[in-house]
Amino acid sequence: MDPANTPMTEPQKQAAVFLDALSVPSPGEVFAALNKACRPNWATLVTPATAPVTTERPQLALAVGVLTANGYIAVEAQDGQQVKNVGRELMALAKSLGVSQSLLGRGNSLMEFADNNDWDALADELEATENEVKNTMVEQKDRDLVTLTSAAAWLRGLEVATGVVLASDSLQGSGTLYQPELARRLAKQLDSLPDRMKRGALVPAVKRTLETTASLLENPDPKGDTLRKNYKKIYDDCSVVVKAILSSSTPAPTATPSPALSTKPPKS
Amino acid sequence: MRIKKIMLRETLSLTVILLLGFSARMMAQDTVSSSAKVMESIPTESRRMALETAGAFQNDGFRIRDGEWSATLSKGAPVFLQVTLFAGENYWFVAASQATGALLRVTVFDASGKPVKTELWHNEANAEGTRSAAGVAPTQSGKYFIGVEGMKKTNRPTEGSLDFSLVYCYK
Repeated sequence: MDPANTPMTEPQKQAAVFLDALSVPSPGEVFAALNKACRPNWATLVTPATAPVTTERPQLALAVGVLTANGYIAVEAQDGQQVKNVGRELMALAKSLGVSQSLLGRGNSLMEFADNNDWDALADELEATENEVKNTMVEQKDRDLVTLTSAAAWLRGLEVATGVVLASDSLQGSGTLYQPELARRLAKQLDSLPDRMKRGALVPAVKRTLETTASLLENPDPKGDTLRKNYKKIYDDCSVVVKAILSSSTPAPTATPSPALSTKPPKS
Repeated sequence: MRIKKIMLRETLSLTVILLLGFSARMMAQDTVSSSAKVMESIPTESRRMALETAGAFQNDGFRIRDGEWSATLSKGAPVFLQVTLFAGENYWFVAASQATGALLRVTVFDASGKPVKTELWHNEANAEGTRSAAGVAPTQSGKYFIGVEGMKKTNRPTEGSLDFSLVYCYK
């Protein structure tokens, strides 16, 4: 048998490398897939960029992920002012995290590309900015924060994607949501964080959301209403946790969202 | 205008390489969960070659992810990277090495570990270094594996060690 046609062995699958920078799809990648499937109205999905006022490093790291995803939404909506706002808030977060030294240039580039409506360059720069924040976290022996940033960016992307899919009667674009292994993997990574990172309600809530999402997506063949209900649950859980990440008071998110926090998916 | 845009993007890519340089590789290697083999430091030249090759796809509308996987192949034994791909998207996985006289084989596997049909590309045998790429348009979203192995021109596994860098792009 040609070695190229040889299936992987179980040990090879187990030993496969998982790299934060490549194994977790960037929000831009998720949104590109979504664009092909159902052409969302991105302008209706843009949300104000506000970083939380907190000294909790885990929350700051989570907020970097959410804001980066918001930046991609603004790029898709071609909303230059919003990209600038996201850029400013990202810089503020980086400063709070003590990782802003090398990021000033990035902030300036974001502003410049936004002024020139250079959307492709902006998308590239957003990913580079997020990675640079993560690299600095690693250099400062804060590698655990990187996991939080990736998980939050992915959850925010998933919130947007489920919202868009739910707004379609035929659940158009649902193929982009099928990432149960990734949700499970990220939950496992969060579980292995040191205890000091898991103090408080936020990180455990993010982990629970990832676990619930994985379970719902693993359901082999849900039909009609069940599928819609599953997506609604994912959307609601993600919305609650994303709100909590950006909240300055860090309320403890509940497993089942309260009516006040349970937002309707935006019509796209 | 388009040329200006491409130049801007390439300048940006170069800036990213220079800025991230060593620290990016450290992060990438630091988060690796498998063997120690993939944790060795890798020459930047392989990454430069991989990005240069991916640049050709970028000109065709592909977007390059800002991250790399660098590893060392030992005696041609394949190594694997886990990725998440989306149905309807197109991907190119580009691997490059400074080593001349060897061939890198890039293979895409689905979640069950079965090889997926890909479009393959590699540089001329007499070129400096080795560059290979695999293009795939998945029909299902989810987990995939990217395998890289070192081959001799005789289609047999290489005997020594071989450093490489892999990047990917999507559209």
